[in-house]
Amino acid sequence: MLEFDGLVKTYGDNQVLQGVSFAVAPGQMFGFCGSNGAGKTTTMRIAMGLARADAGEVRWRGAPLDDAGRQRIGYMPEERGLYPKMKVADQLTYFARLHGASSADADRAVAEWTERLGLADKRGERVEKLSLGNQQRVQLAAALVSGPEVLILDEPFSGLDPVGVDSLADALVERCRAGVPVVFSSHQLDLVERLCDAVGILARGRIVASGTVGELRAQEGGRQLRVVVPDADPGWAAAVPGVRVVSEQRGDTVLELDVAADDQAVLAAALRTGRVTHFARREPSLVELFRGAVAA
Amino acid sequence: MSAAGQVRLVARREITTRVRDKGFIISSLVIVLLVVGVMIFQLVAGGQGSTTTVGVVGGNPSVQTALQQAGEASGTAVTVTELPDEAAARQAVEDGDVDGAVLDPTGDSPQLLVESSGSVDDVVRSAVGALSVGAQLAAQGVDLQPAPNVAVTELDPSGDDDGPAVVVALVGVVVLYGLLILFGQFVAQGVVEEKSSRVVELLLSTMKPWQLLAGKILGLGVLGLAQMVLIAAVGVTGALALGVVSVPGQLIGTVLVVIGWFLVGYAFYASVFAAAASLVSRQEDLGSVLTPTTLLLVVGFFISIQAGSDPGSGLATVTSFVPGLTPLVMPVRMAAGDVPLWQVLLAVAIMAVAIALVVRIGGRVYAGALLRTGGKTKLREALRAERA
Repeated sequence: MLEFDGLVKTYGDNQVLQGVSFAVAPGQMFGFCGSNGAGKTTTMRIAMGLARADAGEVRWRGAPLDDAGRQRIGYMPEERGLYPKMKVADQLTYFARLHGASSADADRAVAEWTERLGLADKRGERVEKLSLGNQQRVQLAAALVSGPEVLILDEPFSGLDPVGVDSLADALVERCRAGVPVVFSSHQLDLVERLCDAVGILARGRIVASGTVGELRAQEGGRQLRVVVPDADPGWAAAVPGVRVVSEQRGDTVLELDVAADDQAVLAAALRTGRVTHFARREPSLVELFRGAVAA
Repeated sequence: MSAAGQVRLVARREITTRVRDKGFIISSLVIVLLVVGVMIFQLVAGGQGSTTTVGVVGGNPSVQTALQQAGEASGTAVTVTELPDEAAARQAVEDGDVDGAVLDPTGDSPQLLVESSGSVDDVVRSAVGALSVGAQLAAQGVDLQPAPNVAVTELDPSGDDDGPAVVVALVGVVVLYGLLILFGQFVAQGVVEEKSSRVVELLLSTMKPWQLLAGKILGLGVLGLAQMVLIAAVGVTGALALGVVSVPGQLIGTVLVVIGWFLVGYAFYASVFAAAASLVSRQEDLGSVLTPTTLLLVVGFFISIQAGSDPGSGLATVTSFVPGLTPLVMPVRMAAGDVPLWQVLLAVAIMAVAIALVVRIGGRVYAGALLRTGGKTKLREALRAERA
C-alpha cells in the first residue's frame, strides 16, 4: 500500500497542502486530479524527496519512504528533464543503473522499453535531436526501465499524440496488472475515467473527493435524467415537484431530481407534451463530478 | 544501490561523456603537442645548434682548420665552402648561401664580404690573426707544440643547480593552472547543464545532492589527474630524450610535487566552482558567478611567475600559505629549494582545512540552490533554502 498521510506544506503565506491523505493499493491505478496550482505536483515531489513536508509522511509497505525506498519508484517529473547531449540508450541505461539495476538487467530493460514505446530506431540518437513527442517517450521510458515497484507520474500524458497515449496507457495498465500501484496526475479527465480504478480530487489543499468513479457518482447524491421531448415548450418540467432543470435545448432536457422526486412523475409530464424520444438516467461524467467537487 | 555505488555511477558517466567528446580529445592532444613543441623550441633556441657557413677564396687548407677552431672558441660550428673567385663570393653572400666570404685569407690584405656585420666577423678575424701569427712564427723557424689540455675537476659534481628545477616547476604551474581552469569549467558547466535541462530533478529523486556533487568532482578529477600525468610523462620523457634537462631525479621530484599540488588545488577549486555554478540556471550566466574564483586563480598564477624569478620574496612566502594561492605558488618555492618542511606541511594543513570548509559550505549552497530554477539564486537564499 502506498499511503499519503496528512501532508502539510506551506510556501511563505501560501498553505498549499492542508492535510492531503489518500492511499493506493498494489495493482491500483490512481488518477490524481485538481485544478492548476492545487498542489498535485507538490504532493508528488514530497513523495520523491524533492520537497519536504511540514507535517505528514508518505509510506510504502508501511514504512516511511526513504532514499532506498525511492530508488524503487519510477518517477516522471512535471518539469521534463534529460541530458540533451546523451544518447537515448546510454541515458536510459544510466537511470536504470541509478535505480539499482544490474548492468545486464539495465540493458535488457532499455531494449524492451525502447521497443515498446516505439523508440527502437532512436536508441543511438542524442535526446536533443528528437521531436518533443519522442523526448516525452524517452522520459517515460526513464521512469519505467528500472522495473519500479511504484510509479508516480506527473502529467504523463500531456504532449503525447493519440498513438503515444495508447502505448503509454497500455504500458501503465500492464504494470498495474503486475501489481504496481500507479499514481498519475492529469487534466485529461476522460482518460482518467477510462483508465483509473480510483480517483482523488485535490482542491483547496485537501482531497475533496476520492474513490472509484462509481463511488464519486453515488456521493454526488442527486440523480440526473436526460429526457428528449421534441415538441415540448421550454420549461415543461419545471412544475414537477423536486425537479431542477440543469439544461434545456430544443427539447433535449437534463433534469436533476432530489431524493424525494418521482421519476415516473417526470415521465408522465413528458408524455403530456407529446412524443418522448429519449428517457434515461444520466451518469455525470468525471468532468462534471470534478467541477462539482472543486466548486463546492 | 548503495550511496557509494551511485557516486561511482555518476563519476563514470562524467568520464565516459568527456572521453567521447571530440572537443576534449582534441584539446588534450593540443596540450601534449604544445609541451613537446616548447621543448623542441628550447632545444633549438638553446644555442648549441648554431652554425656558421664561411666561403673562402684562395688561401690554403690550413684556413679551414683555423676557421673551425675560431668558431669552436666562440660557440659555433663552422662549415667552410671553397669559392672560385670574388664574383662567386659576392653572389654566394647575396644569395645567403654563406654567412660571409673571405678573400685572400693568408695574403697581406684579406677581405671579408658579409651582408651586414655579425658574429662571423669575429670568427674570421681571429682565424686570420691565428694564421698570420702561425705563419710569422714559422718564418722565424719556431717549431710549434700543441697547447696543453686543461684538466677540469668538479668539486661538487652532485651540487644542485636550482635553475632547471624552477623552470620545470614554472612549466608545471602553467599546466596546473590551465588544467584547474579547464576542469573547474567542466564541473561548472556540468552543474548548469543538469540544472538548465531540469534533469537534476530526476537525479535527485534517486540520490542526495552530495552524491551527485561528489561523483561529478571525483569523475572529472580522475580525468584531470590522468591528463596531468600524461602531460608529465610526455614532458619528462621528452625532456630527458632531447637533453633539455640533465638531472632526472630532480626533474621527476618536481613533477610529482606539481601533480600533488594539482590534486589539492582541484579539490578546492572544483568545489567552489560547483557551488557557484549551482546558483545559476543558464550557461550564459556562468561567467558572472565564476569570475571571482577565476580571478583568484589568475592572481595565484602571476604571483607564481614572479616567484620563479625571486622565490625568496616576501610576497611569494606569504601567498604560499593563502588557501587557493598555495597550489600555484608553493611548487615554485619548493623547486627553488629553500622551503623548510614545516612550511610545506603547514601550507598543506591550511589547504586541507580550507577544502573541508569549502566542501561543507559549497555542498550546502549546491544542495540549496539545485532545485531553484529560473534566474539567479542569491548565496544567502541558497544557504537558507530547505534541502531535500
